[in-house]
Amino acid sequence: MKKIVKNKYWRDGEPFVWGSAAALSLILILTFSLLIVIFKNGIAVYWPSPQLLFEMEDGSSYLGEVVQDEEQPTGLRHQLKIANRDLYGLDFTWIDAADIKNKSRPEGAVVLERYGYGNFHGFLSALNLPSLVVDHGPPWPRFQAALAALGPEIAKVKESKGELRALNHRIVGLDKKIAQYHHRGDDDPATLLPLQDEKGLLHHEFDRLVADLEALETTLHQNTALFTDATGRQQSIALTAIVRAYQPNAMSVFAKTGLYLSKLWELFFAEPRESNTEGGLFPAIFGTIMLIFIMSIFSFPLGVLSGIYLREYAKEGFLVRLVRIAVNNLAGIPSIVYGIFGLAFFVYGIGSSIDQAFFPEYLPTPTFGTGGILWASLTLGLLTVPVVIVSTEEALGAIPSGLRESSYALGATKFQTLVRILLPMASPGIMTGFILAMARAAGEVAPLMITGVVKLAPSLPLDGNFPFFHLDRKFMHLGFHIYDIGFQSPNVEAAKPMVFVSTLLLLGIVVLMTSSAIILRNKMKKKYAITH
Amino acid sequence: MDPRSLRRNKQFDTLARYVITVGGIAVIFSVIAILFLIVKVTLPLFKPSSVEELYTLPQQGQAENILAIGLDDYQENIFTINRQGHLHFQALREDGQDAFVDLSSGSAKLVRHLATVEPGLFSLLWEDGGVSLVAIDFRPQFDQHGKRTIVPGAEIIEELPPPGTSSAITSTLIRQDEEEGLLMRVNLHDDNGFSIWRRFKTEDLFGDETVEESSNVIAPPFEKMSAFALTIDGQTLFAGTAGGTLLRWDIGEEIVLTDTIPAFKEAITAMTMVFGSQSLAVGTESGTLSTWMGVRDSNVSETKKLRKIHDLKSHGGAVSTILASQRDKSLVSLDSQGALHLDHMTSERHLLSLQGPHLLVAKSGRGSGMVTLDQGGVLRVHALHNPHPEVSLRTLFGKVWYENYDSPEYAWQSSSASDDFEAKFSITPLLFGTIKGTLYAMIFALPLATFGAVYVSHFAPPHLQRIIKPLVEVMASVPTVVIGFLIALVLAPFIEAQIVALLLSFLFLPGGFLLFVLCWQYGQRFTVVRQLRPGYEFIMVLPVLVGSAYLAYLFGPLVENLLFDGNFSQFLFQNTGSRYDQRNCIIIAFGLGFTVIPIIFSIAEDSLSNVPPNLTAASMALGASRWQTVWRVVLPSASPGIFAGGMIGLGRAVGETMIVLMATGNTPIMDLSIFNGMRTLSANIAVEIPEAPVDSTLYRVLFLCAVLLFVMTFIVNTGAELIRERLRKKYAQY
Repeated sequence: MKKIVKNKYWRDGEPFVWGSAAALSLILILTFSLLIVIFKNGIAVYWPSPQLLFEMEDGSSYLGEVVQDEEQPTGLRHQLKIANRDLYGLDFTWIDAADIKNKSRPEGAVVLERYGYGNFHGFLSALNLPSLVVDHGPPWPRFQAALAALGPEIAKVKESKGELRALNHRIVGLDKKIAQYHHRGDDDPATLLPLQDEKGLLHHEFDRLVADLEALETTLHQNTALFTDATGRQQSIALTAIVRAYQPNAMSVFAKTGLYLSKLWELFFAEPRESNTEGGLFPAIFGTIMLIFIMSIFSFPLGVLSGIYLREYAKEGFLVRLVRIAVNNLAGIPSIVYGIFGLAFFVYGIGSSIDQAFFPEYLPTPTFGTGGILWASLTLGLLTVPVVIVSTEEALGAIPSGLRESSYALGATKFQTLVRILLPMASPGIMTGFILAMARAAGEVAPLMITGVVKLAPSLPLDGNFPFFHLDRKFMHLGFHIYDIGFQSPNVEAAKPMVFVSTLLLLGIVVLMTSSAIILRNKMKKKYAITH
Repeated sequence: MDPRSLRRNKQFDTLARYVITVGGIAVIFSVIAILFLIVKVTLPLFKPSSVEELYTLPQQGQAENILAIGLDDYQENIFTINRQGHLHFQALREDGQDAFVDLSSGSAKLVRHLATVEPGLFSLLWEDGGVSLVAIDFRPQFDQHGKRTIVPGAEIIEELPPPGTSSAITSTLIRQDEEEGLLMRVNLHDDNGFSIWRRFKTEDLFGDETVEESSNVIAPPFEKMSAFALTIDGQTLFAGTAGGTLLRWDIGEEIVLTDTIPAFKEAITAMTMVFGSQSLAVGTESGTLSTWMGVRDSNVSETKKLRKIHDLKSHGGAVSTILASQRDKSLVSLDSQGALHLDHMTSERHLLSLQGPHLLVAKSGRGSGMVTLDQGGVLRVHALHNPHPEVSLRTLFGKVWYENYDSPEYAWQSSSASDDFEAKFSITPLLFGTIKGTLYAMIFALPLATFGAVYVSHFAPPHLQRIIKPLVEVMASVPTVVIGFLIALVLAPFIEAQIVALLLSFLFLPGGFLLFVLCWQYGQRFTVVRQLRPGYEFIMVLPVLVGSAYLAYLFGPLVENLLFDGNFSQFLFQNTGSRYDQRNCIIIAFGLGFTVIPIIFSIAEDSLSNVPPNLTAASMALGASRWQTVWRVVLPSASPGIFAGGMIGLGRAVGETMIVLMATGNTPIMDLSIFNGMRTLSANIAVEIPEAPVDSTLYRVLFLCAVLLFVMTFIVNTGAELIRERLRKKYAQY
């Protein structure tokens, strides 16, 4: 009896059921561990961690935060972020737990975020504020008051920098105009001289502003604070070089939350610093959104048009079947193939022709004949057109034919049926296609790398200077940002937190888009279930 | 109803039909047409070379009197040097000017031998044994309007007096190195011996010049010398004899005969160094043309022996002249009947034949122009269209014996610091890398995804299906750059440290699982266990898997110490000779697997749950268990769908770029080991295209890579698509 039971258990294949359950489990473990790693590392980046002062057996001491622990054959060791790249050369160090003599959490430990050389860890010892009027008091509140008082001054500097940019744009515009006259062979002094004069005036104005700005910056630079690091070395730091200063060990949870939020704000709306490893992601976020936007303008109408044609107008037959297979196939073509096509066709083909026809005066410097946001968007448009076609077709195909027939029976023409009945009904499905296409576009990096994405774009593709949309400009992109700072940056260890933040952001955008597409689709399914 | 509005409606409908039809067809065909453009870019790679005759200029006097000809890069000027030492510049353009320079400075001596030292520098050996070095250059000049004129110029930069030897000199080769202040001269004497003369000019800090001279002699060997060549650095001398022997001397510090090879059974009639001075081109009396280079005869020895590497197309008669291109590894050769051949050494491609009879030939510096002199004394200037001589099907896919290699290899190395580098464009290692990465990824992904889908579609409760399917779809949308970053910067270092634990978990995971299943079976006799609802097995087995993996993690260091002497990668290298790379196939299998699993899962799950329920119900009614039903009924009928899912996943893995770019190390090696990396077609495109100049060979070869990728994915996807369509029709019957 016992033997039979055993055989039956195996013969019925219960272990195989368990095996397939294990396969599903593994998939789930993989997925969740990926998500957890990204979330854990991404979310914690901006939370100020406590600064610990380690005094070692050999007399050296370190002030910093513990990044990770590692079990070595020699014993446990900690990786510390000790910052102060200008003093020590490296931001990170390893210490053996066995060598620690004393470990403390000094209340007065200060973390400075700076515009250069990364963070600074140390203690505030003295202030030197010749040009700022700040009440006397204990150093730390006085330091914070000084930083606050510096705010309006820095705003002034920013303002005049903006003026300089505008002036520079006007000078470049004049240069372009002069180049155009030269190119046409029009060397008439009557037309050129006024332009030259205007340029001279602008240059004069420019130089005056630069001199003013330098004077202002010099006075501001004189305001310094003296810091002492863990080993007692003194370092004088100009207040203008400081982005943000805080004492993590003395902060309450609310203060930490405030800091976290201010850093999030910086992430979304500020420019990157320190070769992209610090500061904000605004240009990359903006570039990604604008890329998707331009891509959608091209891809969606064309895709929907083709989808409607294939489902509603084309006569079913061998050719349509062939086209349908081809379109499905195109969705599976590697994105790098689209990229290389975009390079050959858009950049070197159409772009060079545009340059020769409209911008010959700047050649051999290319205007459109090099990678730019327009070409990258068009390439992504091609990549996503098949997705839109397929989803439009499927959405139209899911509508019961009875609806079409009743519309015709009421005397509606085919176009009226399409516009009034079919498209509204198919719109959730088509929307799903749009969102999936956008999610795909947001996550693609390979084709962008060869059609115009750069690690640091000097200006956004959209700004206040005529003609506002600069489609020939190169742009930044979140996905490429990850690749670039994760793999091309000289200090990968220091860049890692930023990579995790960008990853979390990109993943968040894409997952949000995809899940909304899925929810939309499920709603649509229910709707049709009722119509049937 | 208003008939007018009805008519308007109808017109509008017709218009809309027209617009939609034309627009739809246009979009679809333009999207498909882009792929033909990629193919079009690659086509010039395989085009044969062609010449176009631009000018014909009859010369005065006897054709044999002319010793050298040449032309500039823009095909606007040519020159001739005749036996009297007269240099003639002839302008080809209407507005150009002819010029004449007497290199013999008025004396009546004749030129005995003329040789090229380097591009634009010629050595003239006079009858008295003296040598003049003549630099000829063509300088482009631009006027205010940007119009270009080429100004030819010639200058005698050095005059060497006759050496005081007794025997007459039949020919001379000169080498110079301006940086080192070296000038050297190798003479072949009519007594069949060589003499070598060197002069070092050094300048000290105060500008004082010191001159050192030295001379050596090589005694006449046993056979008559018929040709000789000198490397560009003047360190190695090659000679060929009338008896077909190849000789090589090192003439650097001291003179050593390093090779004597009875290479041919006939006379060697011409030889020259191929561009880069690594290979020697040799022509013989019967018209064979081959290239030779020094190869280490075994892995241990350092001495290099001359070996024949490439055989080029043979001539009909004795090879009289071989001219090496100064841009690439191609060779122009003339035979005694005056036929001209253009061949490329690496690809062994015969590019061009011109029936002569030609006496002399010269190429312009950039290789775009060629000038020939025929026996009738007519100079012809040709434009040469020869953009990609180094590419042939053999260099793209086969083994090629490259310079500095000990044996023929598949190699990809598109660029190097030096100009005279032999570009290696073998796609085979890239194809190999692509297939290797895909293969490991599929081994990992296919079983997981398929059985996961089986479980979700047939064993899990329906509401679970509604949660897991969207979850998997979200997983499919994770950008590959995110996965690439994670596996390269987080997983790869982790696995490198825990490699033994990972290997151990291949043992522990199935082991722990089997143990659990056995326990479960034993537990069947308790009612508590029996009453657990089926459908949640995957949750119950989850802690078992995590636990086994953790056990492997704990035992990893122990096993590494016991079996692998504490360091697995060192153990691996010592015992198998293959290295452990941090970015290896295991990492890629995880990364690519992660992108492919959701695709296979979705398609497989769709086809599994579309199996008509009456089939499964019938099976169950006949007493089959749930696994038996799935195994015998569901899987066979859904297998085409699963197969299609696998193929679509395969197509995706083949073309995936970011993950492999970030996590493979991108070294184009051919090694099946799971512990090292590779370079795939797609990553190769991403790595190399920013460096590739438009329309260069590299650019077109990269497009060829794209075409290959396209073709591979197209075949796989179309196959999958056809299968799915058939399956859909089949189930439509139920």
